[in-house]
Amino acid sequence: MSQSQNLLTRLPNDIGGLPAEPIARVDHALEPWEKRCHALADVLDFHKIINTEEKRRGVEALGAEMVAKLSYYERWIAAFANILFQKGLLAPTDLARKMDEVAARWPTDPAGQ
Amino acid sequence: MAVQSQTPNPDHNHDNDHEHEHPHAEISQSERPGYYDIMETAIRELLVERKLIGADEIRRQIEVLDSRTPALGAKVVARAWRDAEFRARLLANGRAACEELGISFYDDTQLIVLENTEKVHNLIVCTLCSCYPRPVLGLPPDWYKLKPYRARAVSEPRAVLAEFGTIIPDDVEIRVSDSTAVVRYLVLPKRPDGAEDYSEEQLAGLVTRDAMIGVIPVSIEAGGPPL
Repeated sequence: MSQSQNLLTRLPNDIGGLPAEPIARVDHALEPWEKRCHALADVLDFHKIINTEEKRRGVEALGAEMVAKLSYYERWIAAFANILFQKGLLAPTDLARKMDEVAARWPTDPAGQ
Repeated sequence: MAVQSQTPNPDHNHDNDHEHEHPHAEISQSERPGYYDIMETAIRELLVERKLIGADEIRRQIEVLDSRTPALGAKVVARAWRDAEFRARLLANGRAACEELGISFYDDTQLIVLENTEKVHNLIVCTLCSCYPRPVLGLPPDWYKLKPYRARAVSEPRAVLAEFGTIIPDDVEIRVSDSTAVVRYLVLPKRPDGAEDYSEEQLAGLVTRDAMIGVIPVSIEAGGPPL
């Protein structure tokens, strides 16, 4: 199978059976925001706003570069934002304004804004 | 606004990259949160303001998450080892049997319990993401969510098991079960030799998270999880 066919048949999450490196038995205790993000995922699922499969596809829809470069919960929260935009539950400008407001609770300039 | 990273974040679990340890600085209240931390707070507050979720729900769900550890799964395994009727119910309907022991399934998933025998060794994975029997084991370890385990467990399980120090004889079949959003698996390990006189609590003390994923056996010597 050619390289381009591989791209066509394998979305970023679909890695079962691919060659990969030895397993490094890594783990870390979740940061507070990561645990909140996990709880948010569960609560969004309880309310039938975003279910597990929508979340997974939302992560995949970030594309290979973001899937590779963002951490696990960074991918989740980015996917939630995009899905909430798509469902019309939040508008991008609302989120941008709220993020500025949240960032302004700390003394120096907001990171990345 | 496109959601994209604008600040380098030190906590990258690169799925398509080398895994590495994640040293974390002490978190203090005065420390500026990162971009995605701010995004999480902003999304949560907007959802609460719009009454899409309740103000207290995240805190309560964090308490639920904190209450789930491999000790619950270990209790289920130990009960199954000592109670043949419970074991039969557990293998017939994992969720219902766990609920008998007071373990609720907050994420609305089904649970299939896979019994290791002299002839079959089971291993669980989620090739697409990180689905895991969270109601009975808590959250999965990072290695379970990273590419090497997800990619290789289904194609070369014996080599993967060997990396965990587990050598399965060639005449024992290895079955790998790939989890989905709604169907999760739990391995019922073999009861170790030498534990015939153990109480349920003593047996549960031998059962580790990794044994219930299927990457190591339960042994009397090696109680206690790595990591």
